[in-house]
Amino acid sequence: MTMAPPLFLALALAYAGLTSLSLAMKRHHDQVMGRKLQPERVRYYRWPGWLLLALSLWVTLTVWPLGLALFMAVGLVAIAGLPLVFLLPYRARLAGRLAVALPVLAMLTWSTVALA
Amino acid sequence: MNKSFRQSMAWLHTWTGLLLGWLLVAIFITGTSAYFREEITLWMQPEVHDSTLQPGTVELAMAALNAKAPDAKSWDINLPGARQTAVELRWQPAKQPENGGRRRGEQMLMDADSGEVVAPRATRGGNFFYRFHFELYGIDRLWARLLVCLATMFMLIAIISGVITHKKIFKDFFTFRPGKGQRSWLDAHNATAVLALPYHFMITYSGLLLFMTLIMPWGIDAAYENDRRAFFSEVFSRGEDSAQPGSPGQMVAVGPLIEQTETRFGKPVERIQLTNPNRDNAQITLRVNRDPAVTDRQRGGDPTQVFQGNTGELIDTRIPANDPVSPGWRIYNFFTSVHMARFADPLTRWLFFLFGVAGSAMTVTGMLLWVSKRTQQLRRDQQPDRALKMVNGLNMASITGLMLAIAAYFLANRLLPVTLAAREDREIQVFFIVWLVSLVHGLLRPNRHGWIEQVAAASLLWLAIPAVNIFTTASHLFTPLAWQHAAIASFDLVCLILAALGGYTLWRLQRKPLPAKARGARAPRRANTASEQPAGESP
Repeated sequence: MTMAPPLFLALALAYAGLTSLSLAMKRHHDQVMGRKLQPERVRYYRWPGWLLLALSLWVTLTVWPLGLALFMAVGLVAIAGLPLVFLLPYRARLAGRLAVALPVLAMLTWSTVALA
Repeated sequence: MNKSFRQSMAWLHTWTGLLLGWLLVAIFITGTSAYFREEITLWMQPEVHDSTLQPGTVELAMAALNAKAPDAKSWDINLPGARQTAVELRWQPAKQPENGGRRRGEQMLMDADSGEVVAPRATRGGNFFYRFHFELYGIDRLWARLLVCLATMFMLIAIISGVITHKKIFKDFFTFRPGKGQRSWLDAHNATAVLALPYHFMITYSGLLLFMTLIMPWGIDAAYENDRRAFFSEVFSRGEDSAQPGSPGQMVAVGPLIEQTETRFGKPVERIQLTNPNRDNAQITLRVNRDPAVTDRQRGGDPTQVFQGNTGELIDTRIPANDPVSPGWRIYNFFTSVHMARFADPLTRWLFFLFGVAGSAMTVTGMLLWVSKRTQQLRRDQQPDRALKMVNGLNMASITGLMLAIAAYFLANRLLPVTLAAREDREIQVFFIVWLVSLVHGLLRPNRHGWIEQVAAASLLWLAIPAVNIFTTASHLFTPLAWQHAAIASFDLVCLILAALGGYTLWRLQRKPLPAKARGARAPRRANTASEQPAGESP
């Protein structure tokens, strides 16, 4: 199961990226942060969002060969996005916290496995 | 033709989706299970669970084949891997029986620890669902495949028209608004469709590619002058050997050769093939699993070493990545191998399974949306008409009914006597009888009560599977054996998850007798449709 830690990280990064992208949208920013989104702050969420998705893709490239990695990266977006979509109306704050916690947890897991 | 383009597309999406939607739900759900067809088959044959690869397994396998078919044309040994526990032995008899001979020859299973031949209970296992998802059951194979192919084309139309119909594809990308009846179903349908769109497109398009020789035979007919066999043997060549058996001779021990191959490729040998065993022209072919390359190889290209049987001399080393592959082949290879995910390791396989669940959820929410929308359009005093009731009943049969039938199939596997005649057919009969009963029930009670009853029954049956397992096998969840082979424990865990999902659905259905904020007139209580069925119901 050497590919489990990078996979977890790729999923976590995809989740964080999608959450960041959703925070660049008025409706979801309200839901998660409980305050209005300032139009000039959109870029603070949109760019990091795409960056995190790119990082997720980069991690999948270390796991699979190019063609498959591209396909799996968009697949991971689906697997990460569906929980986000269904968390937002019910537990919006949790959805936001997970976006921070999951990548940290994933990196800790990977480094623990790598060091062990 | 005054309607706008988008309206026409919405019409197209609604009706192509409905017409073959029930079939598509079944194709998606059984197809999703097919990612794990070998694991399902393994679970359904508890007689082979207690078998683990040992250092001496290969010698035991050679001895078993020597005892069974010493003068066969060829032997095949499939060692246990992540997906199977027993050793699969195949051989090609020296004399092919007239017209009764199978192309793949004879086959038996061997316990990897003891070397004894095991005869597991007769079952079609996961292959039943795998076959069902592209050629159904009990009807002529050609017509069934054409029907599935037609459904696949409709699916492709539905995907394209659905994207065009979706007005706010980016604005609503993360939107789900619960408790709003039709609106919620539309959101759920959009979320499962849009987020997994690349997967939906890939699985549908590659499905058509896999059918390509069936639906577009004319190009091949023209180029190969109606000799389609020539096309297949040229393009999908299986490299059959025509060498005559030599005179009797000794063979070297396989053990050192295996070591040599494993050092060369850095991977365990998975398949051992011997042509002309016990002859002086015997050849020993050792294969390891290929890397998960998706485009860069042709079929059957495992890293392979071939040895001379009597001397142990290395004749040939084949590394498939070096085979040149044309761009057309690369595209075909990519789509078809991603569709079938045969290259996948267990973890990747789980991801594909989840993609399949998303696909199933998309078709299921689409079908439920169709009924939900029309139910909400009813006026206060209006009863749903016969067509709406029928669609609702058919939805029930295709969604909860199929889940009931699958659970019944697994239970039948555990409860039918092991020695029953034509046992594998009886399991399938149980599957179809339960499905038929759910169809009749759905058509008789196309309302909330019907849904509640079917969801309750399905939850009970899925819960019953791991429970019955405790009394009928020695590899249930409370034994270490089940956890030794992750597939066996995972099967029971998935059953429990499905039962829990069913239970949650039931709770939601009971708790809210009517959609709380359904806009417009509320439908009469009896006629109300299940607008609370969550999407995650698939194996």
